[in-house]
Amino acid sequence: MTAIPRPWGDGRELSVPLRLPSPGPALYLLPVVAFLLVWIYLPLLFTGVLSFLHWNLVSGSRPYAGPQNYTQLFRQGEFARAAGNTAAYIIGLLPFATVFPMAMAITLWKHPGRASLVYRSLLFLPVVLAPVAVAISWQFILAPLQGVLDTALTWAHLPAPDWLGSGATALWTVAVITGTKIFALNVLVYLAALAAVDRGCLDAARIDGASEWAVTRHILVPLLSRTTALTSFLCLVLGGQWTFVNIAVLTQGGPLGRTDNVYYFLYQYGFSFFNTGVASASAVVITVVLAITVAAHQFAARRLVASDQ
Amino acid sequence: MLRAIARHTAVIAVIAFIAFPVAWAILTSFKPPPEIYDLSPLAKHPTLANYDAAVTQFPLGRLLLNTTIMAAGVTAGQVVVCVLAGYGFVAFRFRAKRLLYAATIGSILVPQTCLIIPDYLIAARLGWVDNYLGLIVPQIAACAFGVMLLRQHMEAIPASLVESAKIDGATHRQILTRLVIPLLRPAISALAVLVFLSSWNEYLWPLLIASGSGNSTIQVGLALFQTQEGSEYGPMMAAATITTLPVLIVYLLNQRRVTDAFLHAGLR
Amino acid sequence: MNITLNQVDRHRRGLTAAPAVCALLACVALAACSSGSTSSAGGSGTAGAAAGPTTITFESYNYGTPDLGGQGMQQLISDFEKAHPDIVVKPSGISAAEIYSHVVAQASAGNPPDIAEIGWSKEAAAERNLPVVAVQDIAPASQLTQLQHSLSPQALAAGEVNSKLTVMPFAMSTPTLYINATLFKQAGLDPAAPPATWAQAKQDALAIKKATSAQGIALAADNAAGSDFLTQSLINSAGGSLIANGHVQLSTPAAQNALAMLQGLAASGAAPKVSDTDATALFKAGKLGMYLTSTALLKSFETAAKGSFTLATAAMPGFGAGPAKPTYSGAGLFVFSKSKAAQQADWTFLQFLTSEEGFTVLTEDIGYLPLRPDAIASPQYLAGFLKSNPLLSPALSQFEHVTPYQQWSGAAGDQARLDVQNNCVVPVMLNGANPATTCVSVGNQVNQLLGAQ
Repeated sequence: MTAIPRPWGDGRELSVPLRLPSPGPALYLLPVVAFLLVWIYLPLLFTGVLSFLHWNLVSGSRPYAGPQNYTQLFRQGEFARAAGNTAAYIIGLLPFATVFPMAMAITLWKHPGRASLVYRSLLFLPVVLAPVAVAISWQFILAPLQGVLDTALTWAHLPAPDWLGSGATALWTVAVITGTKIFALNVLVYLAALAAVDRGCLDAARIDGASEWAVTRHILVPLLSRTTALTSFLCLVLGGQWTFVNIAVLTQGGPLGRTDNVYYFLYQYGFSFFNTGVASASAVVITVVLAITVAAHQFAARRLVASDQ
Repeated sequence: MLRAIARHTAVIAVIAFIAFPVAWAILTSFKPPPEIYDLSPLAKHPTLANYDAAVTQFPLGRLLLNTTIMAAGVTAGQVVVCVLAGYGFVAFRFRAKRLLYAATIGSILVPQTCLIIPDYLIAARLGWVDNYLGLIVPQIAACAFGVMLLRQHMEAIPASLVESAKIDGATHRQILTRLVIPLLRPAISALAVLVFLSSWNEYLWPLLIASGSGNSTIQVGLALFQTQEGSEYGPMMAAATITTLPVLIVYLLNQRRVTDAFLHAGLR
Repeated sequence: MNITLNQVDRHRRGLTAAPAVCALLACVALAACSSGSTSSAGGSGTAGAAAGPTTITFESYNYGTPDLGGQGMQQLISDFEKAHPDIVVKPSGISAAEIYSHVVAQASAGNPPDIAEIGWSKEAAAERNLPVVAVQDIAPASQLTQLQHSLSPQALAAGEVNSKLTVMPFAMSTPTLYINATLFKQAGLDPAAPPATWAQAKQDALAIKKATSAQGIALAADNAAGSDFLTQSLINSAGGSLIANGHVQLSTPAAQNALAMLQGLAASGAAPKVSDTDATALFKAGKLGMYLTSTALLKSFETAAKGSFTLATAAMPGFGAGPAKPTYSGAGLFVFSKSKAAQQADWTFLQFLTSEEGFTVLTEDIGYLPLRPDAIASPQYLAGFLKSNPLLSPALSQFEHVTPYQQWSGAAGDQARLDVQNNCVVPVMLNGANPATTCVSVGNQVNQLLGAQ
C-alpha cells in the first residue's frame, strides 16, 4: 500500500543544508500576496466600509447608516430565503462535483484508448460553448408546451411540468443544468489526479484476487480523497456563484424568488437597484458565513485524510 | 465483452445528457428563422445565413482576438503566480505560513459580484479602463484554486526525490524548475485549461471594463444578440459555435498532457 | 554550520515582508478611496487643440447589434459625421439590461459617457443617481422651440421632468396586439375584425383553442426584464393608474379589474400559463393566436412568420369603457457632458438623431415609433414606408392616447417595480393567485418600501 507522503517542505527531514542562501519564500509568495491584497482584500475592505453607508457611488454625500443596511437585510425575508436556496443549490450540485465526475474519471482512466479520448472531448462540450448559449439552448429544450422535453414526455404520457417556471421544479432544474458543466470540469480535475496514480499497484491487487469494485472502492477512492476534499470544498464555496449565470438568463430569481440565491440577490441590489449599502452588507454576511463553513469543512476534511493514512 | 458494452452505453448516455444542449445549439445555428422553434433536429431548409450574419454583421474576429488575448494572459499570469506560490507554501517553513495560506484560500470566499465595482474603481485610477491590462490583471487575482491545486500536487511529491536533489546540491530554483515543474505537468495543464476556460467564459468583468461592442469579449458580444427588438437565436448560436473552436483546440492540445503518460521511473 | 535553510528564511522573511505589505496596502488604499469625491471630469468630450474635432462618446443598445438595427445605427452615425466633420462620435454597444449599470460605474470613476441611451423605466433612477445634464440647458432657445414644435407632445412629455425637458425622447414603443391571421381563419374568425375589448379577446382566444391545437392569447405582462409597461398600460386602460403621488395603487378597482382580467384569461384556458420568453417562442412558431407585446418586436415577428403564417396587428384592446390608454417603453437619450464644447456637439448630434432622417432610420431599420408627425406624413421620409408596412399603423393611431410612463421614484423605486411584477402580476397570471387579496397585500408591502426611503 502506498502511504500518502508527508509534506517535504517542513524542513524537518532535511539534514543537508542548501548550498547558497536563497531569498526565501518571499520571492515565491510576493506575487500572490500582491494580487490578493490589491484586487481582493482591498475591495473587501471597501465593501465593508460601504456596508455602513448610504451611498450610490456617485454623489458627494455619503451619510453614515450605522447598522441599518444589516437590519434591512435580516428583516426582509428575501435574503433568508435566498440563503436557504443557496444551501439547496450546493446540496444539489455536490454529487455533480464529487461522486459523478469521480466515477466518470475512473471509468475513463481505467480504459484508456481512442474511445476514451473521444469521450473526454465530447464531455467537455458544455463547458466550451458560451454559457449564455448553453442556457438558452436549455431554455429551448425545457420550453413548456412546445419544447423537446415537453413533447417527449407528453408522447410517453408522463407529466410534463413547466420545468423552469414552476416553483417546485425550478431550483432543481437550474441545479442540474449547472451540474452538467461542473461535472465536466471536475472530471478534468480527477483525471489530473489519476495521472499520478501508479497502475502497477492496481494490477498487483487484481492479481491478488481483489474484485474490480474492491479495487476501486478501497484503493482508488482513498487515493483521490484529497481531490475529493478539494472538489467538495470548491462546490461548497463556489456552488452559489456557479449557478449565477443560469439564474440570470433563465429565471431571474423567479418564480416568486424560488430560484434566487444570495449571489443573485447581491447582483440585483448592487447592479440593478444600486443599493450599494445592502449589497455590501450581504457581501460581508456571505463572506463571513462561508468562512465559518469552510473552517468546519477543513476540520472535517483533515480528519478524513488523516484517517486514511 | 458484455461489461464493455454496458460501460460504453453508460458513458454515452451520460455524455448524451450533458452534451445535448450543445448539440441542439449547433443544430439551431443552421435553421432559418421560421424553423428555429421546430422540434425536428435537422432543418428542413438548412441555411448558412446565420453564419453569414454572425461573421459579417458582428465583429467576430475582433472579439475572438480580444477574448483569446485576455484568456491567454490570465492563464499565463495565474499559472506563474500559482506555481511560485505553491512552491513557496510547500518548500519552506516559516511562522506565518498557516495564516498566509488561510488568507490565500480565504480569497475564494469573497463573492465576485462585490469585487467588481471596487476593482473597476482601482483600474480606473490606474488608467486601465478599456485596455488589455485592465481586462487581464484583476482576473489573475482569482488564483486561490490554482494555489490549492498545485500545492496539493506538490505535497504529493515524495520527499525522497527532493532529498536526492538537495544532496546533489540543487538550489530552490533548480528544484522548482528541474524537478517539481516537470512532475507537475498534468496538474499545470489541467489548471491552465480550467483557468483559460473560466476566463474565456467571464462576463461581468469584461462588461464593465471594456467599452462595449468591438472592444469587448465574446461573452459580452453574444449578449448583444438579445436585443430589445427580439432575440435572433440563429445568428447567436452560429456565433457561439464559431467561438467554441479556439477553446476546443486549447483543450484538445492539453488533453495529451493530462492523460497518464506518466512513467517517471523514480516515482515508485 | 548546521543552520538549515529554514532558520535563515525565518529571520529574513519576517523582517522584510511586513513593511512591504503595509506600504503596498497604503498606496493602493490612498489611490482608490478618493474616487467618489473627486469632482467628475464629466463626459470625455474632448476638443482637440485649436480647431481639432470634438469627440463625443455615445453608448447605445442599438449600436453593434448584428441585425438591420445595428446597421441602421451605424448608418446614422456615419451620415452625421459626414454632415458635421468637426464632430467625431465614438459609439459603444452595450446590451439594454446592462447599460445603466455601465454608466453608473463610469460615473463613479468620474468618467461618464457624453450621451447614453437609457430605458424609460430607469429615468427616475438616472435623474437621482447620475450627473444628468438637462437637454433644455444645452439647447439654444430657438432650436429648442423648434424641436418642441416638431416632436409629438406625448414624446416631449416623456422626456420632461418638472416641465423641463431633461431627456431627449428617442426610442419609444407601445403595446400592439399581434395576430396570427392563419389561426384566426382556421377558427372561423376574421383577422380584419380583431377584438376591441378584452372580453371579446377572451372569446376569440377560446375559439382558437377549440378549433386548433394552438394556444389562444398571451400578454407579455410578465417579462424577463421586469418591465411594468404592460401592467401600467392595462391599469391605465381600466381607468386608473398604477402609481400616483409616489404611492402604488393596487387596491383601486381599476388595478383589481385589470389583474382579474389577466387571471380570467389564464383560468379559462384562453391564455397558457407561461412566461413571455415562452410565449414569444410559441408565437414565432405559429402556435399562439394573439400576443400583446411591444411594437419593437415587429421585425422579429415578421421574419419568423415569413412562409409560416400570416401576421396581422391590431390596437391594444380596451376594457369596454373607452379606448385603451397604453404607455410606452424604449429609451431616451441622457446627456452627461460637462464642458461647453462637448455639450454643443451633443446637442447637434441629438438634433440629428431626432430629425426626420433620424426617425426614418429609427422606424425603418431599428423598429421604433416615429415621434415626428412631419416625418410620418412626408413622402420623402416615412409616408411610403408606412403605406407598404401597414402593420405599424394600429400602434401609431393609438399613439394619441399614450399616457406617460409613471416613474418609480426614490431609492427603492426599482425594487418596488420588481416586487409588483414578481409578487403580484406573475402569481396572478401564472399561479392562479387571487387578484383581490394579492393586490392588496403586495400594494401594502410596496407602499411600505416606498414610504420607508
